[in-house]
Amino acid sequence: MNVKSIMECERKNIDKLKKYQLSNQFKKVGWIIFGIAFVALFLTTKDTNLKLIAKYSILIGLLIVSISKEKIEDELVKNLRMHSFTFAFIFAVFIAITNPLFSFLTNFVFTEKQEPFSGIGDWMILWLLLSIQVFYFEYLKKMHK
Amino acid sequence: MKNRLKIERAILNLTQEELANKIGVSRQTISSIEKNRYVPSTVLSLRLSNLFKKPVNDFFELDENEKANA
Repeated sequence: MNVKSIMECERKNIDKLKKYQLSNQFKKVGWIIFGIAFVALFLTTKDTNLKLIAKYSILIGLLIVSISKEKIEDELVKNLRMHSFTFAFIFAVFIAITNPLFSFLTNFVFTEKQEPFSGIGDWMILWLLLSIQVFYFEYLKKMHK
Repeated sequence: MKNRLKIERAILNLTQEELANKIGVSRQTISSIEKNRYVPSTVLSLRLSNLFKKPVNDFFELDENEKANA
């Protein structure tokens, strides 16, 4: 196997990865899962297992919405999607970095307790990433109507 | 970038929807290009060129700032 054929093989694998999107019908499925899980999260008060399932179902719903195609998936939509992913990534990383410092400072100022720095949590980071991407993408689409 | 897309569309007597269908994009894409909110790709520009039967430079033009940076 020469270098050229290895590169060709790698290129084909990358091209396969680019086709990660689901069809447009999945978007409705994603919103339904998100809606049901969101309501379930507020209705469950004690059952921690059910609450955990609801929290992760919200993420699954948003992920399905996020990777579903639009009715007409043209270059403008791809461009807007790329912008929304970029914005969501930068915003989520910024919040993840600044939030522990912000909580530490507010605790210190208002309660005068020196509590150790604590992370933002995996669910919250994923929620930030997915929700910002999905809602910012919808906002950008409205701006281009 | 300035463009004459609206004028070229009017010459062919096409609506935004009809033009969008002819070149395989959404109506929003045509609207965004006409309002200078979106700069189309080379492929889309060449599709428009084929449809209008004119070179790309006839309906897309760099503005003064873009010319200065070139």
